[in-house]
This record gives sequence, structure tokens and C-alpha cells, in this order.
Amino acid sequence: MTSSVSPLRFFRIVTTQPSLIGWTFVVVVVVGLVAIVRDPSRSSEAMAPVLLLQLFAVSSGFEVPARRGHYDLLLTSGHPRVWMALVHWMTSAAPGAIAWMILAMAERVVSAGVHPGLMTSGTMAAMVLVSTLPWAINVRLPRFAAGIGWLLALAMSTSVGSSASLPSDSPGAGLGEVIWSAWTVLVYPAGLVGRDLDVLQSIRAAPAIVLAAGAMIAACRWISRASVPLEAAQ
Amino acid sequence: MTPFAVSVRDLAVQYGRRLVFQGITFDIGAGQSLGVIGPNGSGKTTLLRTLAGCLVPTSGDIRIAGLSPRDALARTGVAYFAGDATLPGSVRASRWGSLGNGDVVTPDRRPIRALSRGTRQLLGLRTVLGRQPLGLIVLDEPWEALDPDAARWLSTTLETKRDRGAALILSSHRLHDLAGFCDSYLFLLPHQARLVHAHDISPSTPVSAAQLVEVFDKLRGGAMSLRAAS
Repeated sequence: MTSSVSPLRFFRIVTTQPSLIGWTFVVVVVVGLVAIVRDPSRSSEAMAPVLLLQLFAVSSGFEVPARRGHYDLLLTSGHPRVWMALVHWMTSAAPGAIAWMILAMAERVVSAGVHPGLMTSGTMAAMVLVSTLPWAINVRLPRFAAGIGWLLALAMSTSVGSSASLPSDSPGAGLGEVIWSAWTVLVYPAGLVGRDLDVLQSIRAAPAIVLAAGAMIAACRWISRASVPLEAAQ
Repeated sequence: MTPFAVSVRDLAVQYGRRLVFQGITFDIGAGQSLGVIGPNGSGKTTLLRTLAGCLVPTSGDIRIAGLSPRDALARTGVAYFAGDATLPGSVRASRWGSLGNGDVVTPDRRPIRALSRGTRQLLGLRTVLGRQPLGLIVLDEPWEALDPDAARWLSTTLETKRDRGAALILSSHRLHDLAGFCDSYLFLLPHQARLVHAHDISPSTPVSAAQLVEVFDKLRGGAMSLRAAS
């Protein structure tokens, strides 16, 4: 093995996001901390801007910078491309994950564990969804495209449906409502924040999680096999 | 039997339905160099990118030290640089330089986009050529935008690497840089390629730029008359 740059080192230097995203996370966390200190029971509301920003942060895109040649040094380093893909995703999602952890710790400290809304299974599911699916969708698209598309889907869903919150939890719901609830979880994961998902809610959230996992696998597979021509050479 | 450093058989690449080139066949031994010459759009960058493992060929076979390009990247050091335009402009020059072998290539902390074109080109070259050891060096228009000192440094560095056993594949429009430097020349013309050994062009003396131009014009004339006939 020759001396070659590792994906971790490469993406620490060639960042996957503009610095503006990082500074915006700082502002969002500071505002969230103030909100949690003032009223720990409203911590879920402090998480909404983090999820929204994470949506755009992970919509970083791989193919566009790769076709400009920015990743040539890495692509010829000899490291497995799947590892490059995973590190690209991790560095894209890390700022949002850190912001979430800071708010969750603050909530725990301020409320002395009485309101653990940011460490519930629902919050984790929302964070996983928002941190994976946009990245996977955006792998071949320009930066922020998946985030914009997601917001568009949310806007269209709210205009079609009567509510963008989680639907009723009644076990007797029909197929149409089950599909609608799965779609709602997909386009509005913020609705999961602060909830401890019971079995029924978990089943309704499952399609979105499975879709996100499938999209991640497909994106990593594409990166590991893709031809990367230079834009100017075609 | 020691495998060739690079062995290419009947290589073809196409983008969608557009054929870039086909039928490229050549071998390069360790410590040898190949110059790739051709007009704009003939597929020089595409060929070099395919050899570096960034592109999957449509057909044909590439072996680098007996391995596929992707496997060779991990086993044999491959240095590839496609020009200053491929460097990410927002990264600080000093940090990009450290990606080679960790050494300081430049103390300049300005973003790459703030550097002059020649400085960017030199930064990219010094970063990829700093890696050790290198079995294959693939450079696309490496002398482009370099000042005389930097061009001299590049030529000396490439000669040193070649003497240590690295195979070189270089493309350039500046024929005087390639002339006398390479053991063989691959002339890429629209839809055809011709490999010419340096000793076939000039058996006793180093190949001159004028001789390369003469061969290029002759081959291009042949290609044009062939196309006219068809």
C-alpha cells in the first residue's frame, strides 16, 4: 500500500458543505439552547430548525464535485469507494448530529431528565430519516436539490392532506390512511420529534426508514461503481 | 514473466451513444513514458481518466502491473492530475498541499481560487507527485500555465520518477515538451489511434517537436483522406 490520503482526512480538508451551513448550525443551536433553558418542555420545537437545516446540510451531492475533478485525488487513492461514500455521508451529517446531541444534553441537564423529548425513539427516527434520505437522493444532484424537493413535497402534501401531523393512532385505520400516514412520516419527520413510538407508530414509520436504508445502499453502490468523467471532457 | 507497467488492449470508450475512441492498444514498461497527442476533443482526457480508474471503458482491457485499474490504485501508487481547474477553489492551498504525503507543499494559506493559474497547476502537481512510491504517473497537460522554473522542475521530477521505475503517461498540446521525453507517442485522431515509437521517428537522435508535428500531420492527412473515401 502506498502513502495515500484517507477519506477521513480528505473530507476534513475538502469539506462537503459550505462554511455558511456550519455557522447557521451554531446560530440554530444557540437559539435552541436559549429556548430549552427558558422552557425545557418545548425542546421539541427547538429541534425543528435543526432538522430543517440538516435536510439541506446532507443534500451535499457527490457526483457534481466529482465530475469537476475535485475528488480525483481521493478517487485515485486506492481506498474502497464504499468507504469514501460513507465518509462523505458522515461528514455531511455530522454537524446536524452534533447540534442534536448538544440540544439533547442541554435538555437533560436543564430538566433533570424530566423532559427527555430529544432522546426519544421518535426523535431518533426523525434524525435518521433527515440525515440519510436527502443525502442518498442528492448523490447525483446539485447541492441542496434534495432539500428543495423535500420541501416541495411537504408543501404539496399539506395542500392535498388536511394535516401534516402524525395521523390517528387507531388500530382500525384503513389502507389509505396507513399509506397516507407512512407518506406523512416521510415528508414530515419533524412530526415524530418528542414521541416515544409505540408498536403501531413504529410500523407506520417503518416504510420511511426502509426506504431511507434502501436509498443509502443504492447511493453507496452507485458511488462504488460509477464512471466519473470530467464535465469538460464529454 | 514481469507484467508490463501498463498494458492496454483494444480499448474503447463512449459517452452515451457518442464514441470517443476505439481500438487503442499499447504496452508501457516500468521506467518508460508515453506521450498522448491529439486535437481537442479527440479523447486524450478521457483516455487518461480511464487509465487512472476514474472511468470504466465500454470495451477492451487495461492492466496496470497485471491488475485492473481499480485494484492497481490500491497496490501500485498511481498519481493522476487533470489540471488546475480540478482543484476545489474554496480549500486553502496549504491544506490541499498536505494531502499528498503530509509534507508542507506550500505555506500559502489563501484559498486555491485566489492563486494564479500557474501556481494552482504547480500546487496540484506537487501534491500528486509527492506521494511515494509511484508505479504509474498519469498527467493531463502538466506543463500548461507553468513558468520556466516550474516547467524545469516538472521535467526533472518526472525524469527522476521514471529513472526510479515509474511509468509515465503524459498528454500535451505543447509538442516541444513531449519531444525527446517519451519512448513512444500515441496519436489520437477522431475515431482512430496510432502508436509510434520514438526510434521509428528518429532512430539516432532524440525526437524533435518538428518531427512530431510532421508525423501528426501525416497521420491526420491519412485519417482525413480515409474519411473522405468512406
